[in-house]
Amino acid sequence: MMDQPANTISYFIAGYGFIFGVMIFYLASLIIRWRNLKQDEALLNELDQKETTGNE
Amino acid sequence: MSGLTPFMSAMGAVIWKDLRAEWRSREVISAMLVFALLVILIFNFALDLQPNVRAGISSGVLWVTLAFAGTLGLNRSMAVEKDRGCLDGLLLAPVDRAAIYLGKAFANLLFMLLVAFIVLPVYGILYNTNMIIPGLLLVILLGSEGYVAVGTLLASMAVQARTRDILLPILLFPVAVPVVVSAVKATGGYLAGLGWEEIQPWFTLLVVYDVIFTSVAFMVFDSVVEE
Amino acid sequence: MLQKPKLLTVLDVAAIASFLAATALVFFYAPLERVMGAVQKVFYFHVASGWVGMLSFLVAAIVGIIYLIRKDLKWDSVGVAAVEIGIAFTLINVVTGAIWARPIWNTWWTWDPRLTTATIMELVYLAYLMLRAGIEEPERRARFGAVYAIVGFLSVPLTFFSIRLFRTIHPVVIGSNDPGAMGAFDMTPTMTQVFLFSLLAFTIVYFDLLWHRIRLGRLAERVESLRLKVQA
Repeated sequence: MMDQPANTISYFIAGYGFIFGVMIFYLASLIIRWRNLKQDEALLNELDQKETTGNE
Repeated sequence: MSGLTPFMSAMGAVIWKDLRAEWRSREVISAMLVFALLVILIFNFALDLQPNVRAGISSGVLWVTLAFAGTLGLNRSMAVEKDRGCLDGLLLAPVDRAAIYLGKAFANLLFMLLVAFIVLPVYGILYNTNMIIPGLLLVILLGSEGYVAVGTLLASMAVQARTRDILLPILLFPVAVPVVVSAVKATGGYLAGLGWEEIQPWFTLLVVYDVIFTSVAFMVFDSVVEE
Repeated sequence: MLQKPKLLTVLDVAAIASFLAATALVFFYAPLERVMGAVQKVFYFHVASGWVGMLSFLVAAIVGIIYLIRKDLKWDSVGVAAVEIGIAFTLINVVTGAIWARPIWNTWWTWDPRLTTATIMELVYLAYLMLRAGIEEPERRARFGAVYAIVGFLSVPLTFFSIRLFRTIHPVVIGSNDPGAMGAFDMTPTMTQVFLFSLLAFTIVYFDLLWHRIRLGRLAERVESLRLKVQA
């Protein structure tokens, strides 16, 4: 009969490391994609302005 | 064809068209058959089947073969429609889309059953096992129906995507797990001479799957072929 | 240009706060399980992730049905968001399941029906993304996505039952004839509190992420239409 619980702390760390890792990774991907799109939007707006002023 | 509703005439027309076209070229059936026989051969060498081991996995080998051959047939069947513009022609007809679905699915089922019922005796001969058991044949029918019901729907989508050939198995296999598992276990049960009480739960699963997915595919097929 | 809604900021705060609180509870408040030790604590977020994954795929299926009826593309962006997030959380669920199994059963994979079903579900939703990737027109992509999200979700219970039935006949792990027994332990009231709070925290985090991902999708659509406009 075991007196002490098994020493599984390394698995605990691996588990939570993975959980936080995936969540941070997903958050980061959201942020990066957002920034890239914002840049694209700004650039495209600029081009759009140039086109409309150019047509006048 | 008087006396049949327009729906059934349409469905019949689709089935007849597919059967006749296939009879002329025999492309799909021969591809499926050759493929199935090759798969059995490969399994023989890959798994090094000793007679005692073989009995346990026969049904698995059989269904993997059918699943792969089935995918081939589904792909070809829908690809032909798309490439030759037959699908567009069918869609222009004032016909309930669901009739087209049922027609295609039924034709695909016939092809798959034809392959199964040729492969069965071949397998039986190669491995000296009797595979012609009535219950087993019913399992083949129910399993193929479920597989083809979902497969026809998914193939209609896959064929319209750029990655068409690879896509169908990727879409179909995860969703077909219940059918394949149940069919394998039920088939294996008959081969091992198990009693009805043990095989019955698998039958229930098969029937439930068939009913649910055939109905769902029937209902959503419209959305998959509209222009 | 859409300003970030105030409610979303509130939700952000709630998500961060509840997640940190849940983590603290798991690390410091939850007791050490007497047999398994520290690894049992993985259970709290393991189940919570599994719950969020399932919820997300259910959302994708429902939103798929709505799209097929209403044909409004805004439902499609919810669908994609739900599938993406579902994939992330289901991944957490499956891998933490393996990490939990390893010290207890001395194997990474026990063919447990729930985990096996979760893995198959993951494959379904990866297939969903691959299907969409192969289609250019947004409207067709949305339709096909909706159909597959529905078909995929419907297959999950049947997959689970078939695997569970399979397992009652073929117990894979020695000593585990009950398919539900993987990692079974007695839950003390403290554990139950931490468990329920984890579920709550993850649900809040889920809706927060979902909203953000939907906004990302809308931004992508705007950029796409701008691109088309400029190229015209």
